[in-house]
Amino acid sequence: MQIDRFVEKNVVITTVKGRLDSSTSPKLDEFMAAIPEGSSVLLLDFAELTYISSAGLRVVLKAAKLAKGSGVVLAICGLIPPVHEVFDVSGFSTLIPIHPNRDAALATLG
Amino acid sequence: MIIDRIDFRLANDLAELGPLVRALDFFGEAVALPPKTAHRLTLAIDEFVNNAVDYGYPDHRQGEITVSIRHRVEHLEIVIADDGDAFDPLTAPAPDLSGSIEERRIGGLGVHLVRTLATSFAYRREDERNVVTLALALDA
Repeated sequence: MQIDRFVEKNVVITTVKGRLDSSTSPKLDEFMAAIPEGSSVLLLDFAELTYISSAGLRVVLKAAKLAKGSGVVLAICGLIPPVHEVFDVSGFSTLIPIHPNRDAALATLG
Repeated sequence: MIIDRIDFRLANDLAELGPLVRALDFFGEAVALPPKTAHRLTLAIDEFVNNAVDYGYPDHRQGEITVSIRHRVEHLEIVIADDGDAFDPLTAPAPDLSGSIEERRIGGLGVHLVRTLATSFAYRREDERNVVTLALALDA
């Protein structure tokens, strides 16, 4: 798994490539534990995320809770259909805004 | 390529999951599984092996987990068995999926995901082993 972070407009974008499971999710958890100073919108770009398990969902929910508690918006974009299915079945699709791709997310959030 | 049966025997150690996942990816490509079926297959095995390793052996004894996959005409049949303490996943409480972000509990989703995505799901305790049998649709 590879994690990268950059800022576009006023949105802090975190891209995750590869698999988010019990062995890799602690790395994302650590990465999402601190919200960058002055940011108002966090976007998780999962376009290159090929797999997610409940361990990955756990980290996403934790990040969403932290963001909400800090008055920051957290959104997700770019889910491939098998990963989107896991978000739907877990009920996360109704909790966290999900955009089809980064451009669509930035048009709404930026 | 036709692979109609694949079997794995693992120690109760999460380090076993890496090679297992690579083998599942190879299997999925070899038999051209639809992307959702391939993801559900890895998810089912990942969740149940993790649960068995994390909770089945509280005394840290050595254990054995077996995974077998049968490629049938219309579905994949998966049997996951472990010799850990008895655990019936059908008695696991269903997570509350309706709460707000603040209300949602962190965790407890693994069994729910697999039960929901499988077309059938069964548990039995047999010869001191937990045996979970499930089917996944091939037309996902």
